[in-house]
Amino acid sequence: MTPAKPAAPRIGRFLRVFGTLIGFLIVVMIFWLQRPETFMTARNLLNITQQMSALGVVAFTMTIVMVLGDFDLSVGAMASLAGIVAALLFQNGQPILVGVIAALLAGMFGGLLNGFLVSFVGVSPFVATLGTLTMFSGVAFYISDGTTIFGRAIPADFSSFALGGIPIGMVDERPVLLPNLTIVALIVLILVWILLEQTVFGRRLYAIGGNREAARLGGVRVRLLRLIAFVITGIGAAFAGLMLVSRLASANPTQGDGLMLNAIAAVFLGMTMSEEGEPHVLGTLLGVLILGVLVNGLTQMQIDSYIQQILTGAIIVLAVVLSSLSRRGR
Amino acid sequence: MIDAVPLLALRAATKRYNGIPALLNASLDLLSGEVHALMGENGAGKSTLIKLLAGVIAADSIQLTLRGESTTIPDPQAAYRLGLRFIYQELNVVPQLSAAENIFLNQPYPTRLGMFISWRHLHDEAKAALESIGAGHIATNSPMARLSPGDQMLVCIARAFLSADGSSASIYIMDEPTAALSRHEVESLFRVIGNLRQQECAILYVSHRMDEIFTIADRVTVLRDGQVIASQPIAEVTPDELISQMIGRKLQSAFPPRQANSEDKRDSSPVLEVNQLTTHDLRDISFELHMGEILGVAGLVGSGRTELLRALMGVDRPSQGEMRLDAQPIKRRTPTNAWHNGIVYVPEERRAQGLILSRSISDNITLPHLRYFSHLGIFQDRPAESRLTRDLGAAVNLRSTGHRQHTRELSGGNQQKVVFARALARSPRVMLLDEPTRGIDMGAKFDIYSLIRQASASGAGILMVSSDLPELIGLCDRILVMRRGQLVNTVEAAELTEEKLLALCYGEVRRDAS
Repeated sequence: MTPAKPAAPRIGRFLRVFGTLIGFLIVVMIFWLQRPETFMTARNLLNITQQMSALGVVAFTMTIVMVLGDFDLSVGAMASLAGIVAALLFQNGQPILVGVIAALLAGMFGGLLNGFLVSFVGVSPFVATLGTLTMFSGVAFYISDGTTIFGRAIPADFSSFALGGIPIGMVDERPVLLPNLTIVALIVLILVWILLEQTVFGRRLYAIGGNREAARLGGVRVRLLRLIAFVITGIGAAFAGLMLVSRLASANPTQGDGLMLNAIAAVFLGMTMSEEGEPHVLGTLLGVLILGVLVNGLTQMQIDSYIQQILTGAIIVLAVVLSSLSRRGR
Repeated sequence: MIDAVPLLALRAATKRYNGIPALLNASLDLLSGEVHALMGENGAGKSTLIKLLAGVIAADSIQLTLRGESTTIPDPQAAYRLGLRFIYQELNVVPQLSAAENIFLNQPYPTRLGMFISWRHLHDEAKAALESIGAGHIATNSPMARLSPGDQMLVCIARAFLSADGSSASIYIMDEPTAALSRHEVESLFRVIGNLRQQECAILYVSHRMDEIFTIADRVTVLRDGQVIASQPIAEVTPDELISQMIGRKLQSAFPPRQANSEDKRDSSPVLEVNQLTTHDLRDISFELHMGEILGVAGLVGSGRTELLRALMGVDRPSQGEMRLDAQPIKRRTPTNAWHNGIVYVPEERRAQGLILSRSISDNITLPHLRYFSHLGIFQDRPAESRLTRDLGAAVNLRSTGHRQHTRELSGGNQQKVVFARALARSPRVMLLDEPTRGIDMGAKFDIYSLIRQASASGAGILMVSSDLPELIGLCDRILVMRRGQLVNTVEAAELTEEKLLALCYGEVRRDAS
């Protein structure tokens, strides 16, 4: 094979791919300089990873449907619903395992419903998952009577999981723990990475996202794969709901609602990192970290939480705009 | 008639795309009260000429005179002001809107007080336009989606007969207006055209249907490779002469030599048997494809060629009838199963249907075969994929910076070679090729021809759709001729001339009449 075309200018390409990463490092530097005592400490950084773990799990699995060019608005409501399902079973004295399995089954069936509507009925993902969002949320309110389930209802074994971790060193004569929830999120990250980047399943998903018609004519079972992708995303959302119940030792029917927009934002931030603008789960990881670091750093700088929202939103828009500008004209 | 000042005269019209002339120094006179047929093969420049008149594209050079006065058509609005009206072959409709609103699609709606839509006027004027073309049976308030394809076409035609703003039209340009019409509707359109002729309008009429041309036209102009070959009164020409004018003495591209005698191949058992295949677009298609045979499919655009390949591939369902591969019936007709069985496909639109442009050469080649180049059918086996891609890339003479290069960056010919490499990856049994050399340069074309020959020599049966008649005749053993979703003829390529084949595609005038 002989060269057919010169490579794109290297600087532009470098900025296109690594611009978001550089922006992230700049933000970290600013917080480090502003709060040298508290920001760049092992404990704080691990704390950030723990706070972001549920969002991470949702965002990682959301990446799978977004690879297909679809998205799932119902993940937040599903996380809330799954948490309620587990908490209600705990309240009724069921073992932890039963509650966990029931919550994950709820996620699976929710994902099946989404996937069926999108893939087999042909409803657009926006309309289908907006509808199921409302349904899941309604079910969560109905079965919980709109109340928060907390206190004794949540078994101590379950909530203590989120408090625990693996000791990785000592600071000020206190052990520094790698939080269990962080480990769980990392495991999900690795599984999704293997699925998307190392299996033939993942390759086919990227093919569908790139050109659905060409993938179908090329023998890819588009409808089946889209269904499976939504099921995985649904299970991921339910899993994140369980992580929230463990961390907060309570469950209420709106607990996971904030996850959806942040997860989509994280995937979009990650998409700015890839040459072709495809979602990749490692990019999504960076997106999650950006959101987590922003919230943590801005809080430490005692910036009003409403202002935090404005800044976070502006940064997301800026990153995506810069990335699409640099891609234009190709 | 020759002495009269033409209503519209076009001189020295040239339009190049990337340096390749689509129209070269073309001239055309439209006289008052004449129906002027414009003919030519696909790609001869008919569409380009119409787009120039419509102001949709700008010519590299052109001289236009309207009633003896020099003029220009920089944009579609100018064409409208000059009294030109266009009827296109494609249905461009908004299915959700009513027939009346579709008639007014490119026009300002009639208003009251300059603000409020006057629905009554809208419907009245739409009704008048429909009645003027003999389509008064269409209810102006019925949604477009509820109308039959023929009625939808009539609605599109009615647009050209709207006289809402009092402007008067004198030139009608009709690009295959009858493609979707029934015989009855065609007759009523022809009456309208007859009326326009009496009102001293000029009609430029593009059609592939020989019988229509000889029924309605006064004069006929033939385009070939962007040039006007002839412009003559219809009475002075025969259908056969028109076909020769359309084909001309083209440079024959060199084809790789045939390997085996076509008759010998026929002795072997068929690799693919199709019995009474019927779908929405196809009726009762039966044929056999033998090992090593190259079977061409000829026909006009819309004759069902592409639909035949899609049905065999299992893309469009449901289909009735039987398909046997190596004498075994194929039960589940899906693209997945077709690839699995060694039935491979090179679709018509390589960018829209063939390639994942955002992915690498390697990803594109291995896509249908991933399970055979993986660990346990689950995990990607990149080294195996790379080996395959390198070998195939060399075999198809692919020019690239490496197998990780994105297919978006390749030239058309190299993109097509990637699609071919995919088809050849696992010694195919049956290759379905749809316009395999469309839009690629001569060098790549020859490479593709060689690949097709090689695949046939190694025993694949090849079914190849092409609008390029020399290509079909030069490459194929036999040729199936399709017309309106049916197989109307099977001919030996060796006995064919382009003239004969084109005549078969059109269906001769006399045969249509009987």
